[in-house]
Amino acid sequence: MENGERGYTEGNLGLKMIQVQNLKRIYVMGKVEVHALKGVSFDIEKGEYVAIMGPSGSGKSTLLHQLGLLDIPTSGEIMIDGVDVLSLSDHEKTIYRLTRLGYVFQEYAILGELTALENVYLPLLMMGKRRKEYINTSIGILETVGLGHRLHHLQHELSGGEQQRVAIARALVNEPKILFADEPCANLDSDSSKQILELFRKLNNELGQTIVMVTHEDWHKEYADRTIWLKDGLIEK
Amino acid sequence: MFKNLKVSFFLAWKSITRGNKGTLILTVMIMSLIFVNLIFLPSIISGIGESINQLSIDYLCANLIIEPKEDNFYINNVDSIQKKLNRLDGVVGTSSRYVTGATFTHKSKFVSGAIYSVNPTDEIVVTKFHTKLIDGEYLSKADTDEIIMGVELTGEEGVVGEQADLGGVTVGDKIEVTFSNGVIREYRLKGIYKTGPMGTDKFAFITKKEMESVLGLDNQASEILVKISQRGDEEEFRKKFMEIGISEDIKTWEDRMAGVVESMLSSFNLINLISAIISLVMAVVVMFIVIYINIVHKRKQIGILKAIGINQRAIIHSYVIQALVYCFSGIIVGSFLLLFLTSYMTANPLEFPMGAVTPLIESQLVIQSIISLIIVSLIAGFIPSWKTAREDILKAIWG
Ligand SMILES: Nc1ncnc2c1ncn2[C@@H]1O[C@H](COP(=O)(O)OP(=O)(O)O)[C@@H](O)[C@H]1O
Ligand SMILES: [Mg+2]
Repeated sequence: MENGERGYTEGNLGLKMIQVQNLKRIYVMGKVEVHALKGVSFDIEKGEYVAIMGPSGSGKSTLLHQLGLLDIPTSGEIMIDGVDVLSLSDHEKTIYRLTRLGYVFQEYAILGELTALENVYLPLLMMGKRRKEYINTSIGILETVGLGHRLHHLQHELSGGEQQRVAIARALVNEPKILFADEPCANLDSDSSKQILELFRKLNNELGQTIVMVTHEDWHKEYADRTIWLKDGLIEK
Repeated sequence: MFKNLKVSFFLAWKSITRGNKGTLILTVMIMSLIFVNLIFLPSIISGIGESINQLSIDYLCANLIIEPKEDNFYINNVDSIQKKLNRLDGVVGTSSRYVTGATFTHKSKFVSGAIYSVNPTDEIVVTKFHTKLIDGEYLSKADTDEIIMGVELTGEEGVVGEQADLGGVTVGDKIEVTFSNGVIREYRLKGIYKTGPMGTDKFAFITKKEMESVLGLDNQASEILVKISQRGDEEEFRKKFMEIGISEDIKTWEDRMAGVVESMLSSFNLINLISAIISLVMAVVVMFIVIYINIVHKRKQIGILKAIGINQRAIIHSYVIQALVYCFSGIIVGSFLLLFLTSYMTANPLEFPMGAVTPLIESQLVIQSIISLIIVSLIAGFIPSWKTAREDILKAIWG
C-alpha cells in the first residue's frame, strides 16, 4: 500500500488526492441553524499546495475540519486518495488520522507535559514503531523544521513560532498523505510566519507533500500553487 | 492492545512526573490517610477482641477445657486423665478444678457466688491468677484453712452502694463459707487478685485437698483446663484427646467463648463498618475530584490527542493508570504510617478495662482494604476520563 507513494514527482500531478462533492455543514444551535458550508465541491491533486482563503466566518476552518476527519459533515462526499472517508467508523477514522493525515491547528496545539521530541514521536509510539526508529525519525523531522537544538524543551520553554514548528513536525512525522494547516501563522510575527511558509514550500517542492493551508493573509497565497476562495460557505472562485 | 498500553503508560508517567507536584503529594497523602483509616480503627477493635480472647485463655478456660459428659456432675478418674494428657507433646499443663456454689459471709455482709478449688502447683502452669495478686499471697498446696478471692468479691473499703461484695475485706480477715451441700467452714483470706473484666474477679479459690474434704469426693473434677504450647492448635489437640480415649466433653476456648467476644464487640463493629464505608466514600470522592479536575484542565489536551489519532482507549487507560499510581503510592505511604502508629502503640499501649491493648492488624483486612481502594481508583479514574474522551474532538479543543 505504501508503494509508489515515495516520490511525489510532477508526473503524479493529475491524480486526485482529495475529491469533495457538494459538502454541507449545518450547525444546529437550539432553533438557529448556521449554514457554515452550503455545498462545496472541488478537487485537490497529489502534490498540490493549496491555500484556502476567505473572510473571517466564511467557513474555512469548518471545511478543514471536515477534510481532517475531525468533524462530520451534514451531507456531501469526501474521497481522500480514493477512500470514501465518511464511511469509516470512528475507530477507523482515528487510525486514518494517525497514519495518513497531518493536522496543524491555528493555536499551538502541542502537549504541555511532553518535550518537543516526545510531542513529535507520540504518533509513532501509537503506531507501534520501535524506539530507535521513532526517536531517529522524530529528531530528523525536528531538524528539518529547524528545532534540532530544542529537542528536550517543554512547551513553556519554547516561543510561539517554535511551538508551531513542533506541531508541524508532529503533523509530518507519520509521512502523511496530506498536511492540513489552519492559519498556522495566525499567532506569529511575520518573520516566524515566513519561516513556516518557506518550510511548507520546501516540503512541497522537495518531498511533493500535498498541503492544504487555510490563511487570511493575502501575501501567504504567493507561496501556494493555487488558492480556493471561500465566501459565506460557498466557493467564490 | 500492547501499543495502546505503551502509550497509556507513557502519557500517565509524563503526567505524573511533569504535572503539579503539590497535587500529586496531596493526593497521595489523602489516599494514605484513607488507607490508614480503613485499617487503624478496626485493628484497635481487633486488638480489644484479641485481649478478651487472651483473657479468656489466661483466666477462664485455658486453651481447652474438659467437662463432664451430659448427665454427669463430675469427671471421674481425673488423675489418670491428667497423666495421659500431660504425656502428650505440646501440652504444657493441666489443672483439674471443682466448682460449687457457696455463700461468703463476713460480719453482717454476705454474698453468694462460685467457689473453685485448684491444685496450686498445677494451676499456676495453666492460668495466670497467681500473677495478678494485688494483696497477700497465692495458695499453697497444703493450705486447708485459707482462701483467695477476686477483688469484685472482697469489695473495696469506703465504696458505698449496692455492690454484691463483702464491703472491703482485707487479707487476714476471717471469711465464713457456706457450701452448697450445707457444710460451713471458716477461712482466712490469704490473697486478693484482680484480673479484669471477664467476671473472674467474682471467684474464690481454695485448695483441691480442702474442697475434697468438704464435698467428700476423691479423684474427681468439675472441669479440667489444658494449656498447650501453641495457640491455634486447639482443634488438633481436641482430636488427639479423643484419640487417646478421653470420652468427656472437650471444648476449645473458641467453642466455649463462641459469640462472647462478638457480642461484646457488636456495637464496635457497627462503628467500624460505618467508618469503613465513610472512608471508602471519601476515597471515591477524593479520587473523583482529583482525576476530574485533572481532566477538566486537560480537556484540550485530550482533544489534541484524539485529533492526532491517539486511540480513545489509550487515553482513558492513561488516566486509570494515574489513578492506580496515586492509589498504590497512597497504600505504600499509608503502610509506613500504620507501621509507625502500631509500633508506637505497641510501645505505649492503650489502657482499657481489659488491660493494655495494642492494635492487631489482620491480613484479611489489609487485603480487603487494598482491593477496595483499587476498585475505587479504577472507577474514579475511569468515569471522568471516559466521559471526556468520548466528547467531540473540536468541542474538547475549543471548549
Ligand atoms: N461549533 C460551531 N457551532 C456553531 N456555529 C459554528 C461553529 N463553528 C463555526 N460556526 C460558524 O460557522 C461559520 C464558519 O465558521 P468558521 O469555519 O470557523 O469560519 P472561518 O474559519 O472561515 O473564520 C461561522 O459563522 C461560525 O460562527
Ligand atoms: Mg478559522
